[in-house]
Formats: sequence, C-alpha cells, structure tokens
Amino acid sequence: MDNSATTPVDRRVVEAMMPYLTEKFGNPSSVHFYGQEARAAVDRARREVAALINARPNEIVLLSGGTEANNDTVLITVMLANNEIGTVQPIAEIGTLVRELRAGGRKYLWLHTDGVQALGRMPVNVETLGCDLLSMSAHKLHAPQGVGALYVRRSVRLAPQNIGGHQERERRGGTEAVSMIVAFGTAAALAREELDARIAHMRALRARFEAGVTERISDVIFNGDTERRLPHISNVSFRFIEGEGLLINLDMQGVAVSTGSACSSGSLEPSPVIRALGRGDELARGSIRFSIGKDTTDEDIDYVLEVLPRAVENLRRLSPLYQQAIAERACTAV
Amino acid sequence: MPYSNILKDHLARPRNAGELADANRVAEQTNPACGDRLKLSLRVRGGRIEAARFLAYGCPPTLACGSVLTELIEGLTVDEALRVSRAEIIAAVGGLPARKTHAAALAVETLHQAIGQIHRQV
Repeated sequence: MDNSATTPVDRRVVEAMMPYLTEKFGNPSSVHFYGQEARAAVDRARREVAALINARPNEIVLLSGGTEANNDTVLITVMLANNEIGTVQPIAEIGTLVRELRAGGRKYLWLHTDGVQALGRMPVNVETLGCDLLSMSAHKLHAPQGVGALYVRRSVRLAPQNIGGHQERERRGGTEAVSMIVAFGTAAALAREELDARIAHMRALRARFEAGVTERISDVIFNGDTERRLPHISNVSFRFIEGEGLLINLDMQGVAVSTGSACSSGSLEPSPVIRALGRGDELARGSIRFSIGKDTTDEDIDYVLEVLPRAVENLRRLSPLYQQAIAERACTAV
Repeated sequence: MPYSNILKDHLARPRNAGELADANRVAEQTNPACGDRLKLSLRVRGGRIEAARFLAYGCPPTLACGSVLTELIEGLTVDEALRVSRAEIIAAVGGLPARKTHAAALAVETLHQAIGQIHRQV
C-alpha cells in the first residue's frame, strides 16, 4: 500500500531490458553494430516516453530520475499532483497565465511541473498543460530506480548539468544507461496502453478501501480534494493517535504505508501538506498515506481492512487523548 | 527509522496499558516541543509500587518507553524507582536513535512527578 513511494518492476519491463544487460551491451555513441543497436533502443524508448506525455522525442532528456530532472533553475514550479494527498494542481490554468505573461514581454518565464506522481496515474499531455518542463521518474511507473527524464519544450534552452559528453543533445553528458532506458520506454508504452484500465482499477480499489475504513473505524478524516486527485492515493487522518506508531504496527503485519509527519529531537514536524489543509497538529500527526498500484488486488485491500482497525484500536486504547474523548462523550450522552 | 525489535514488540503488545481504578499516584506530562504525552498511574503501598499503568500519545519511542517503564518499576520501592535512569529505559527498549532519547526523559519526568518529587536534571 505504498505505491507512491515506488512500484514493483513489471515482468514485461524486465524481459524488455534483459537483452541490454546481456548480449546487447553496445555504447549508443559507437558507430559499429553493437553501438547502433543500443542507439536504436534508446531512440525507441525516447519515442515511448514522449508519446506518454504527447511530446516530441527530441524534447525528452533522459537522465537518472525525478530528482535530477527537478534540479534546474526555472521561475515557476508546481507539482502536477501532490505526492502526499494526490491533489491534482491546476497546471493548465497556470500554463495559460505563463503564456500570457510571456506574450506580454516576460520572455524567459518558464513553467516547470513535477509529474513524477501523476505519470501513469492520469493522462498527462504537455500541450494541454502548457508546461515548458516536466520531470518524470521511471520507478513510479513499474520500471527500475535510477532512470527518468525531463521534458524540455523546443523553445527552452537549458544549461547542461553534466558536461563532458555530447549525449542527449549536449544537455546531459555521459554514456546512456541503455538497459534502464529500454525499461523506462517499455514501461511508458505499457502505461499508455493500459492507462484507462489502470485508473479504473485503482479508483475502484480505493473506493473499496475508503468505504471499508469509514464503516469499520470511527473518527477518521480523509485528506485532500475527493474529486481532483490521483486515483491511487488515499490519505487518512486517524484521530487520537500518531502515524508512525500505526505505520510500524501495520509493517509488522506485512502492510507498508507512509506517513508525512516526523518528530525528531523532541520537536514536531507535522506534515506541512496536511497542516496547509487547515488541520491541526493532532490530525497532521495522525495522517497516513495509502497508495495503490496496478497490481494491488481486492484481497490486498481486504487484508488491510482486516488489520487496520485492530492496529488503530490498539493505539487508541493507549492514547490519553482517546480516553479523554470517550469520557467527554459519555458525559455528553448522560 | 532504526527501531529495535524490542521497541516494536512493546508497540504491538504494550505492557500494563490503561489506568488503575485504585491508583494513589497519578501524573501526566507533555513534551511541550512535540506534544507527546505520557500518563502514569501507580498504586503505592508501604513504600512499594504494587502496580503501574500507562497511557501514551506520540511517536513510537514515547509509547515504548511508557510500556517499559511500568515493567521496570512494578515491585520496586519508591526509592529504587527514583533511581531508574533514562539510560536504563533506553537500554530496556533495545536502544533509541539519538534524536528520540527525549522519549526516555519524558518517562523519567512523569515517574518523578507521580512519586512526588520534581525532577531537576541539568
């Protein structure tokens, strides 16, 4: 239940990349057969990645992942979809605004968006969004960690970060990680082909999960916009308890989740995202992110719904906040 | 998040959780910085802690330290209980990451408050 953190590599992706780890080991810059075979593979992958976001292949810079793709200097950067609660941001509206400003003389105003969470979980079209740069990471898309891409609109000129090689049209020097890029390309092709089915699947499972939580656990609050959000994320605040304790309890029963809050050195750092929704410290501390993947099953959800209420109940029995609330409610009832 | 298996076990199966109906010493302390809370209730007879129960809210170390504390002090005399140190509590939960040792401090402070001595440690 932590597919927002990373996703299992698709078997078909592994099959596609294997030859490039074994017999097809060429350097794409080499002129001979092995090199050209690798070059063709990188170009095919580039086309697939471009197709996933409706870009041109020469607008794709292949690199090591989302973080590297985010490491550029631009003026406006907004996540396409939030990684903690899944809320989809109005990038198209911002894109329109940026284009208007650019037409009005602000020539070098660029819009960058981090599409890492959104990719493969909603349609992403750089033309509709109107963004100039978009970061992508393969491992959220059932490909391995360590490969990603930056979409760079034709008119945008970026200073290269890796120099010393001519690869990626001088924008990112260094021999291409061919097998990883092939994996990314295959994952992108599969994501495009299966996008509608994956979205429907994840949305149905999330509805099953949220209905089950609502039915079985009291004092829960679902965080984020219920409509404008990615189909795979459910962020829940459990009142009276703290998220990390719940995370460990679930982990011990084989369920992996994430929490946005952290308490370190005795000072609390509650999730800024949940706080920004207007929730207090207690709800921010009690928030857990459940994230579903294309391979998650009904049985997985039912297992979570079996262990989660018990884990919450165990922590609440310990919680002075809960005991206090029960006492107060009993008084009100009398 | 390198928590020990002992700590995780206390989290999954807290010892002596709850409150004592016949407690004659009750204390509750809150860490003002992070909001972690620990409530301790004791039944003390003839200078000896006969029973201890705890409630806790906060990060896993706070919950585990509360649980371990009750195990450590049940059956001790009040004087012996006052000598239970942070280090002992940390050892009893199988160690704590440096940034989480405040959880053991909260346990010691709550115990001292319950017993009736304000704990001043520099």
